[in-house]
Amino acid sequence: MLNEKIDQIKTEITGLISSISSNEDLEKFRIEFLARKGKIASLYDDLKSVPVEQKPIAGQLINSLKKYAEESFENIKKTIQTAANEKINFVDLTLPGRLRPRGTRHPITQTMEEMKSIFTSMGFGIVYGPEIEDDYHNFEALNFPPNHPARDMQDTFFIKDDVVLRTHTTPVQIRIMKERKPPLRVIMPGRVYRNEAVSARSNYFFHQVDGLYVDKNVTFAELKGTLVTFAKNFYGSDIKFRFRPSFFPFTEPSLEMDITCFLCSGKGCRICKNTGWLEVLGAGMVHPNVLKNCGYDPEKISGFAFGMGVDRISLLRYGVDDIRTFFDNDTIFKSVLMKSLCA
Amino acid sequence: MRISFNWLKKYIDIKTTPEEVAETLTSIGLEVESIEYLGKKFEGFVIGEVLQKEKHPNADRLSVCLVRVEKNKSGQQIVCGAPNVAVGQMVIVGLPGAVVPQNQHDPNAKPFTLSKTAIRGIESNGMICSEFELGLGEDKNGIKVLEPTAKVGTTLASYLGLDDVAFEIGVTPNRPDCLSHIGIARDLCAVYKKKILSPSIKIPKNKNLSIDKQLTVKVINKKDCPRYSARMIKRATVKESPDWLKNYLTAAGLRPINNVVDVTNFVMLEYGQPLHAFDYKNISKQVIVVKNTNAGEKFSTLDGKEHTLDGSELMICDGRGPIAIAGVMGGLNSEISSGTTTIVLESAYFNPISVRRTSKKLGISTDASYRFERGTDPHNVIEASARAAKLIAELTGGYVVQGVTDVYDTPIEPLKIMLRCDRVNKILGSNIPSRKIKSILSSIGLTVKNGKNKETFNCVVPTFRPDIEKEIDLIEEVARLYGYDNISNQTSVSVVFNHPDIIEKRINAMRSWFEANGFNEIMTNSLIGKEISSAISDATVNVKNPLSVDHETLRPSLLPTMLQSVAYNYNHGAEKLTFFEIGSIFKKVEDGIPAKYVDGFYEQNTLGICLAGQASPLSWAEKQRSVDIYDIKGIVQSLLSQLGLDNIHLICYDAPSSLTELTLTVEINGSYVGFVGKVRQSILDRFKIEKDVFFSEINLDVLMSFDSARKFTGFSKFPTVTRDVAFIVEDEVQVSKIENVIRNSGGALITSITVFDVFSGKNLGEGKKSLAFSLQLNSSEKTLNDAEIEKIIQRVIQSVTSTFEATLRSI
Repeated sequence: MLNEKIDQIKTEITGLISSISSNEDLEKFRIEFLARKGKIASLYDDLKSVPVEQKPIAGQLINSLKKYAEESFENIKKTIQTAANEKINFVDLTLPGRLRPRGTRHPITQTMEEMKSIFTSMGFGIVYGPEIEDDYHNFEALNFPPNHPARDMQDTFFIKDDVVLRTHTTPVQIRIMKERKPPLRVIMPGRVYRNEAVSARSNYFFHQVDGLYVDKNVTFAELKGTLVTFAKNFYGSDIKFRFRPSFFPFTEPSLEMDITCFLCSGKGCRICKNTGWLEVLGAGMVHPNVLKNCGYDPEKISGFAFGMGVDRISLLRYGVDDIRTFFDNDTIFKSVLMKSLCA
Repeated sequence: MRISFNWLKKYIDIKTTPEEVAETLTSIGLEVESIEYLGKKFEGFVIGEVLQKEKHPNADRLSVCLVRVEKNKSGQQIVCGAPNVAVGQMVIVGLPGAVVPQNQHDPNAKPFTLSKTAIRGIESNGMICSEFELGLGEDKNGIKVLEPTAKVGTTLASYLGLDDVAFEIGVTPNRPDCLSHIGIARDLCAVYKKKILSPSIKIPKNKNLSIDKQLTVKVINKKDCPRYSARMIKRATVKESPDWLKNYLTAAGLRPINNVVDVTNFVMLEYGQPLHAFDYKNISKQVIVVKNTNAGEKFSTLDGKEHTLDGSELMICDGRGPIAIAGVMGGLNSEISSGTTTIVLESAYFNPISVRRTSKKLGISTDASYRFERGTDPHNVIEASARAAKLIAELTGGYVVQGVTDVYDTPIEPLKIMLRCDRVNKILGSNIPSRKIKSILSSIGLTVKNGKNKETFNCVVPTFRPDIEKEIDLIEEVARLYGYDNISNQTSVSVVFNHPDIIEKRINAMRSWFEANGFNEIMTNSLIGKEISSAISDATVNVKNPLSVDHETLRPSLLPTMLQSVAYNYNHGAEKLTFFEIGSIFKKVEDGIPAKYVDGFYEQNTLGICLAGQASPLSWAEKQRSVDIYDIKGIVQSLLSQLGLDNIHLICYDAPSSLTELTLTVEINGSYVGFVGKVRQSILDRFKIEKDVFFSEINLDVLMSFDSARKFTGFSKFPTVTRDVAFIVEDEVQVSKIENVIRNSGGALITSITVFDVFSGKNLGEGKKSLAFSLQLNSSEKTLNDAEIEKIIQRVIQSVTSTFEATLRSI
């Protein structure tokens, strides 16, 4: 009889545990089972009528039931408490995180850095020269004779009669060839100047990267191979390109390299003037006169040189249509560019 | 150089398409920059014959015509509104789809597209056009009626001789020989292995008085005029040129003038030899003298402009004075006019440098000067003159006077150059057989003979190629015509390895730091106005020929242009501005001081940092405040430390600076590398900036010279103890001085001092502040016990209170 009653109460408790979620229900539970006049207390009254020899066992059963009820009570109490705490300490995870600052490198810096990294991976060092340059380095040593029509290509800012703002980074070639000895394999990035009216397409200053490789047995074939390697790294391995003979006073033979216009895929558009091609760089074998001017013997030493503009390529890469945008330095422009670059 | 495709084909027999020819030209260095299809605007217009004409049933003024537009086919129905349309006429028909260039019923004469349509219920398949509609003339009153010889079905472009294609060729300055149709054809012949078709220059003989009886030529300045020739044409009638000539000139981009001037232009574009025609009756004393005139003389050119000569210009003179500027432009006083009957035709070779100098000095650039200053062919002078004289005589109805006056005392000899075949392949990295080299060079007019051995050639360079001066120029010709594409692309295996560049690495680390800390890199102008630059430096470098007053001076500091960007962004609503720029600044230095690059000028790679506005972006998490001097100071300290530089000192600067107040100088190992400060309001006013701007400028050339190799020196294995002390001191007492006293009195066991609280308040007393320091103590030998620590702290307190009259504040 008593055993059955104990089992019944235990089942009752087990059934109730999961349904209690408030302090009120918990109190009801306590009164029903654990109070002085509760169901478990009444079992001790029933114990009195149990035969003596069975009393110890029955007593143990009641004790363990009581313990079970008390533990259940405590557990429920904790659960209710925790739930209450969670409600008090609500965390809104939709609030924005504490953002770290995000900065930007200038688009021209980014283009320049990419060019530098490709060339350094091909064994080119990086050297610099002055922006205020003398006539000797900017023109004369580069085989521009005085009064030669090639100077028509140069619209130059003059500081003095024989001092100019350099019109290209090529004079650094002269400086480095005079300073060091072959083998010489370097690129020369920097800012250059032309006396040109400022418009969406042209600026009076812009940036170039010149390159030079001088050693025994440097060939035109190697120049082409170097440029192809660069172009495939920089513009993409599936790029189409062509080499055209051209003219620069400081190289012979000279070439210009065009790539398929990547805006119209070579179909012809405003940017490529309907030719389907974009001119991206000029190059050639260092002219023997230039080698001689630097104290090298052209019979023993040969070299190639190349030069490319950075600004126009940056315009095309980032889809910017006005070069002035780069130098207005609008932070909104930069952040828009940053977003698009991170995407 | 604009080249007419039809004209070009007079000298080379090819059936190739214009596009293919353009590609070939580009591949041999004559870059075709654009192709213009001249007949394109007349696409869809053909010659038709009116077979029938009936009145329109529903409209009085309209006719329904049957017009044949294809040979041997029946006609098609077209409704026409013109009063003059009649059976048997040859007319211009616009077919459905054609774009009529000018709508004569539109006030703005806008173009419109024809389509098959019904006009008042009657089907019409096109339109018979007026002169005006096609832009061929002004007549709007009726349709254009053509000569009866016009052939049905011919395209209008072909009928008008306008089915031509024009190439714009970017001729590089070394190729004056390609500033003509024959020159271009000559290069093409080399590629297509054709023979050039030369025009006829045979002048019919006559028995009239020869030229030397009628004209005397004297060349005084033989250096600037190595060759001068003259011919005469008599009984000429100056009038409009025939269509074929006008069409060629128009296609090549020149405006037709009259039959004499047009021929001189035609032959210039044909041979590359500029010519000039004088009116014989205006040549005083029948004498031409080539010389320099006196300084100060005035001369009016054909374009009506008067020039004052300085005596350096080579002039063509007659018995009275100058009649032309040699190689540049003719004079108003001897110009060909409608009344001209006897013509003197000049064909000469002038010194390129002389022509260039004169053209540049007088600011006159003409088609003639453009060619002379690049170098014409002295051997071509007589042939071109004969060609022109013959044509002028034919077109003007006159005759060519017997003989030619040719003053050519010292003939210019063709250059002889030796070429080594192994040299060709060594430079190009190719394997071109000597046979091939010989045939390439022969194909462009060089005489190539075997030299002392089979692998050496002696080459004679024709005078039309002044650019070929050395062996390397011959190698270039071989490469160009062999084809750049036929030379393989190789990459070197003997790579030259370089040391990793410390400067590149450090600049890159700097940019990374700025990027990670929310800075925008900017790039600004290097040239600024004199007014602002002179406020900054008295040793500015000025440009002699600036674009404008705002671009006169090379920047002596990055500040002005960086402030332009600050102002620009403030005006665009930005609230937080954190900029950095890496660029050159420039100064003049006294003569005699050796410069790194160009004497007299100093150029410095410089870092500029600008802070303005809010310290952080608007956020729920952080309280908004404006940037202050401690922001810029902290940035410079953190940056330099991040770069691995130690022994950095920022020192309060007492001397007044024109740029900043609250200035600190930055020193590394005792060397000055730059400064930090708050930009003066007087400077900000120039840029209309009202809020505070903080600025730092660092000399990167010096910064890069410091070693950053930090070495591991070991660290203590014993615990570090922290103790806080606070003092109340006078406001003027500098924290750095207190720190020094703490360091000196506390000794080496104090490993770090951090100021963690600064405040002043009424309870501290007037003019007082409280400074709280957190001190870290550590020994590398043992764990410090309380007694030892207490002893040090007491020593510190004692020293600080006595040195600064400070009182200890309990914490």
